[in-house]
Amino acid sequence: MKAGNVVSLPGQRAVVVRRRIRWGDTLAPYLFIAPFVIAWLTLFLGPALYSLVLSFYRFKGYGTATFVGWSNYSSTVQYHVFWTMLQNTVFYWLAHVIPLLVFAFLLALLVRSDLVKGKRFWKPVIFLPNVIAVVASALVFQSLFGTQYGVINTIFGTEVPWLQDTTLTRYIVVLLLVWRGVGWWFVIFLAGLTSISPEVEEAALVDGASPWQQLLYVTLPLMRNTFLFAFVIDAIGSFRLFTEPNVLVSRGGIAPDAVAPLLNLLLGNLRDARFGQASAVGWLLFVIVVAVTFVQFRVFRETTEEAE
Amino acid sequence: MMAQRIATVKTHRTQTAWIRQRGQAVAAYAILIVVVALSMYPLFVMVLNSFKTDSEINWNPAGLPEEWTLASYAAIFEYHGGMWVNFLNSVIIATISTVLAVLLASMAAFAFAKYEFRGRNVIFALLLATMMVPFEITIPPLYIAFAKLGWLNTYQAMIVPTLASAFGLFLIRQYMFSIPSALLEAAHIDGANHWQLYWQIMVPTAAPILGAFAILHFLGVWNSYLWPLVVATERAIQPIMVVLPTLRDPVIGFLPVWGTIMAGSVLATLPIVVVFIVFQDRFMASVVVGAIKE
Repeated sequence: MKAGNVVSLPGQRAVVVRRRIRWGDTLAPYLFIAPFVIAWLTLFLGPALYSLVLSFYRFKGYGTATFVGWSNYSSTVQYHVFWTMLQNTVFYWLAHVIPLLVFAFLLALLVRSDLVKGKRFWKPVIFLPNVIAVVASALVFQSLFGTQYGVINTIFGTEVPWLQDTTLTRYIVVLLLVWRGVGWWFVIFLAGLTSISPEVEEAALVDGASPWQQLLYVTLPLMRNTFLFAFVIDAIGSFRLFTEPNVLVSRGGIAPDAVAPLLNLLLGNLRDARFGQASAVGWLLFVIVVAVTFVQFRVFRETTEEAE
Repeated sequence: MMAQRIATVKTHRTQTAWIRQRGQAVAAYAILIVVVALSMYPLFVMVLNSFKTDSEINWNPAGLPEEWTLASYAAIFEYHGGMWVNFLNSVIIATISTVLAVLLASMAAFAFAKYEFRGRNVIFALLLATMMVPFEITIPPLYIAFAKLGWLNTYQAMIVPTLASAFGLFLIRQYMFSIPSALLEAAHIDGANHWQLYWQIMVPTAAPILGAFAILHFLGVWNSYLWPLVVATERAIQPIMVVLPTLRDPVIGFLPVWGTIMAGSVLATLPIVVVFIVFQDRFMASVVVGAIKE
């Protein structure tokens, strides 16, 4: 191994390039990873660990930090706004994920089918809402759903308080998430569907399966991993939701608690210089994300075992 | 007689099948057109309202402008403190961040994919394991640290935390695995040094994945809102995303100026649209590539 520089391929034996041993050869890979690893240690792992420590302290940004045990966590959990925001976040996630993925999948099926021509036209056009900056799209929705001068109310001659009524507002946030997200998952589903070999699907039809059965028993199981990926990634993104509700609902600042996502609590604590408390919120968020991901993997495994 | 009947039955059957298929195709196109109309409409509102006067938006928010005007675009450059500065901030931050993030991730990916060294697997596993940890967790410590360094309201405060992308490292490493090592060996025997192996062979060969990651990363930084909101409180240093939602009528303070906001939104969207139009296929491929690696 020390004979020279080792260049390897996965699954293959390392190919040793015979050369004189040079100090630089052993050092080279470390030099290549050094900038990344140093940046990652100082800007991610270090701060993340420090934040974990901080979550057990009371610290106002100056003076000394006092150890307070679990008190940052317990006071966060006892704070009713935490539960409001958690509820909002869970609602935004659960209310948007099913329509989002079903819609994206159906569109992908449609565009892939023989019924539709011009895939090179439909694909970018359906993807387009993703290209709009997130803040811009939230602002456009704000003007669409304004009460007095809003586009929707003007078209229908109504005065629905879309963004003043808390219940309605939550659905507008969901609408924005679905509207923005469909094109993204559509492109991913389309790629997944295109990678299924036509023979496999045709074989089912030849065997007398209806197109519905073909979809249910051939296509969907083959797309299982893509769906699992989509659910997991979308859930993680949902718990980190911040921009959409805040820009959509607020007038230039932060959304009111009644419709705010969980990250608003982190920001609120930060602005009040409660750094320990802010860190505790961050770690609670992480624990929730891990739990949700774990449950999703379990559910997917169980449903597949049932199917088999 | 018999044969003739069979023939008519057959044509009849193919005819109904043809009609049914035709009907399905019409329905399919109808659905697509409705979907596209709904998904494009907000975009139209954004663009059209950016060409209306603020007062026209109040009584005509939904239709074509009766009087086309560039007043809102002029407003971006004039009052509201000259928003082109914020636009420029966004361009500077996203560009520098993307160039450096691609460089760092691809250098590390090269080493992880093509070298064997002590600690390789341990370090890589550690990097992967932390991908689940949300970036937001680091906000309180980073804020404290940057405040101590005097980095609040600076470009570096918004650039530096985006540089080490474990996602990008993973993505690029996967791709570099598939590049034959024979290429490197040949160059190595010809006397190329390690940096030349990386810069002259790996970077050009891995260009598709570097481009895909660059697009995704640029998109992420361009759209970022929470972190700049935390570290950039001075108007002159804020990226356009932080400024856009705060635009208010200079006379009647609390009224949003929709013309200017829409013009700003168009401006904030423009760079992404340009990248999308130029690299259309690669843009969408990057979305897929980012999803393939489970």
